[in-house]
Amino acid sequence: MLKLKNILLASHGTIGAQAAEKIALGLCQPDTVLHHLIVIPDLWGGMMGDDWLNNASTRDTYGQYVEAQLGREIDQHRAILEQEIKARGVTFQTKVVLGKPDQCLIDYAVESKADLIVIGSPRPSEISGLRSRMVLETLAQALTVPLLIAPYPR
Amino acid sequence: MVYTQRTPWTLVMGIIMVAYAYMVKSGMMEPLIKFLNTGRHAGEMQTLGFTFGALAILVGLWQMLAAPKEGQTDYYLSTVAGLIFIMLIAFVVKWGLDPLMGNWGRAAQPALGFNFASVMNLNYVVMGILAGIIIVNVFKVPGWAQNGVRLSRLGLKTGVILLGTLYSFAELAQLGKLSVVLIGIFVLGSVGLVLWIGARRKLPNSMTGVMSAGIGVCGVSASVAAAPVVQAKSIEIAYTIGTVLLFGVVCMFAFPIIGKALGMGYVQFGAWAGTGILNSAQVAGAALAFQPGGIETLKVAEIFNITRVLFLPIIVLWLALWYVKREVGAHQVDVAHVIVSKFPVFVLGFILMFLLSSTGIFAPARHYQGSYFDNSDKALIKKDRSGKETSNYLKDADVETLKKDADKVKRDDQKAALQRLIENKKVMTEDDDTTLRGIINAKAMSKEGTAVLNKAHRAVRHTAAKIAMFRDLIAWFFTFGLVGLGMQITVASIKQAGGQPLVIGSIVGVIKAVGSLIVVLLMVSETV
Repeated sequence: MLKLKNILLASHGTIGAQAAEKIALGLCQPDTVLHHLIVIPDLWGGMMGDDWLNNASTRDTYGQYVEAQLGREIDQHRAILEQEIKARGVTFQTKVVLGKPDQCLIDYAVESKADLIVIGSPRPSEISGLRSRMVLETLAQALTVPLLIAPYPR
Repeated sequence: MVYTQRTPWTLVMGIIMVAYAYMVKSGMMEPLIKFLNTGRHAGEMQTLGFTFGALAILVGLWQMLAAPKEGQTDYYLSTVAGLIFIMLIAFVVKWGLDPLMGNWGRAAQPALGFNFASVMNLNYVVMGILAGIIIVNVFKVPGWAQNGVRLSRLGLKTGVILLGTLYSFAELAQLGKLSVVLIGIFVLGSVGLVLWIGARRKLPNSMTGVMSAGIGVCGVSASVAAAPVVQAKSIEIAYTIGTVLLFGVVCMFAFPIIGKALGMGYVQFGAWAGTGILNSAQVAGAALAFQPGGIETLKVAEIFNITRVLFLPIIVLWLALWYVKREVGAHQVDVAHVIVSKFPVFVLGFILMFLLSSTGIFAPARHYQGSYFDNSDKALIKKDRSGKETSNYLKDADVETLKKDADKVKRDDQKAALQRLIENKKVMTEDDDTTLRGIINAKAMSKEGTAVLNKAHRAVRHTAAKIAMFRDLIAWFFTFGLVGLGMQITVASIKQAGGQPLVIGSIVGVIKAVGSLIVVLLMVSETV
């Protein structure tokens, strides 16, 4: 059986990611460290769009609000997952980064010395949500460890 | 933090600009200028090329040789590279791609049956925005240019402030009334409609709130202002901004094509674009795309934009109160703070420039909207770039055309003014000019006769030098601003268009665009 010292789980609270969380937790062995990666997609950098009418104070308020809101949503997601992880007695680390999801995963896989990476399936097109996904081809070309993709729950 | 990034590109861009301006001055570029028919821009090619080129060389050398220290100087100078980057793109587009596309459009016309450049409005404004969008999405804006790209907002606001110099009291009053009525109906109507649909579909209040601002008032700017007030979730913000950007970019291309197909005039199109396009940045883009060679449409459209932005604090306040009423635990609203913090200060600059212009400091006495009467030989006989004299006196053929139509004119004062025009081959007095304009407006003469009267009118009406300078400056500020804003429209954010905001935004956006088109066509005449 594959000895898993470090499992890297990329999840951000969506239904597909929750399936990945379950599988990752199921694979954890007593001495496994679960590295939980949350990526804030860099598309948020363009979410001020071409606004030009507002003054600097309104734009600052908006920027701080969006940051805080994303922070709140991550905290909620992390709290739910951490409760589950603690209940199973698994050692874990969480990292939140801003960038391109696939590149962040590749970088963190190296940093965390992951033996296995677990991610969720791309969201089916009929389900709405943020359009930011891992480019599987990029991952397949760059990763040096096995990648497990959890099937989308039907 | 030190903002300036060490890069050779500022210096390189400066050298390119200065070299180009020098080659234009020395005549080396004459074959290209002739081929592209850009002789009328030769003056600004030199002025702008030398000015921005020199600035770029100085700052580029400083960036390369000095060690910038944290502070205001570093911050302000860090914007120069981006400013030059945008200007270089604007130069290439305005003096190169725009006329080249015009040439190609004319060349392909016999084969295609239509001039694609003209029909698709492939002018410098549209191509400038497209260039910005392509750069940010394909190549990425270089790090050293990012601070300067943010200046594009300041460019657009400065353009609006300077636009204040071009209105008369009567014009501003009438356009103001028209815009308040149209914007009042369509903005309040679409905000109300979104709130109603949101309630019917049992959507979260936060989503309905941010959506109603974005779709109803002025697009992304309204979403940015309203999102914190209605405590929108991240996905709701992403959906709304994506939808507004998608709709805005589509409208910016579609509106001028439809406007031209329907034969709309400047006032009609400006009023329609100013009311029907969801996002305020694309209003300016569509207006300049519709009339790239002048700013009459922009003048109308921007009054509508200003009216929209003046509505913004009121709408944000309305949404804040609406949200507090519906959500337990929502923050109480500080009415004064909302109004003051959202007030668009640059509108005060616009009003100030308008008031200054009304005193007559920018144009000669007896001017009307910056245009004055002069029928002297100095004004009528000009030399072109090659030194050849061209006369704006009427030609013999023109006089014959007028003589043929003379008996169609019945009023004595008009007959007398026409007779003086025929005898002297130029309009003799300002009163005669007004009287002859009456013949044009009454469409009393044949098409050819009216064309001759228009020609005679144009020969004696001149734009004041300062007003002409303001027009050029305004066009450049808007070009700069729009190219820079193009660099802030990412495909990643447009791709977020989805969910209920896309469905409701499409319904309300189409209703607003079609409804305002019908109202404008039925109620807005070309003269204001």
